[in-house]
Amino acid sequence: MKNNVKITRIKASITQEQLARKIGVTRQTIGLIEKGEYNPSLQLCVAIAKELNKTLDELFWEVDTK
Amino acid sequence: MKSWISFLLPNDEYKEKKMLYFFSEGAIILLLSLIVMIICNKYFNLDVETVLLAALAIFLFYVSGRYIVSGIEYTDISTERAYRKELRVIFIRTIRFVVIFMALYLIFINVPTRLDKWFEILGLLISISVVWFLSSYISLKRSYKKNKELL
Repeated sequence: MKNNVKITRIKASITQEQLARKIGVTRQTIGLIEKGEYNPSLQLCVAIAKELNKTLDELFWEVDTK
Repeated sequence: MKSWISFLLPNDEYKEKKMLYFFSEGAIILLLSLIVMIICNKYFNLDVETVLLAALAIFLFYVSGRYIVSGIEYTDISTERAYRKELRVIFIRTIRFVVIFMALYLIFINVPTRLDKWFEILGLLISISVVWFLSSYISLKRSYKKNKELL
């Protein structure tokens, strides 16, 4: 699943490790989510969104660009 | 989700999901192998002890094998420096195990009096240590490779 987690995290100047520690997962899990190789649960999506001060739409909603 | 198996699972969501897959796959393979053994038992006389040991080995080897090659054990190892440091930790841990095992054996069991007994205990100890070191090394190597790709 494509998402904007990586770009948002970089803009917020947070490392994968810092984000992982704050939401209670491993750095590997954050890396997998950012690469779109793992679809997180809704609970984890909300935790990431709260930590990055974004809405779920801004982070995870796909917008068709025609 | 609450289940009695939760105490065996890691806290991390991705690792937990992976482990559940490994346990489920292991259980299905175990079920299939038991069916095969029941069919085989009609044609050959299978020893109960062998069947039980084979069933146990199939499940344990499958689940631990999948865990080792999946690269999910060392989730924070993503730099060359951290990799080398962890490798050193694995090496020291293996040596420590050899020393402690040998010391406890000599203190609580007995000091082997014959040469063949020495070979027996040292052979067992070296085999366990090599398997332990290699499984940790492979797991570390796979984790490092996976983590590097995710940076």
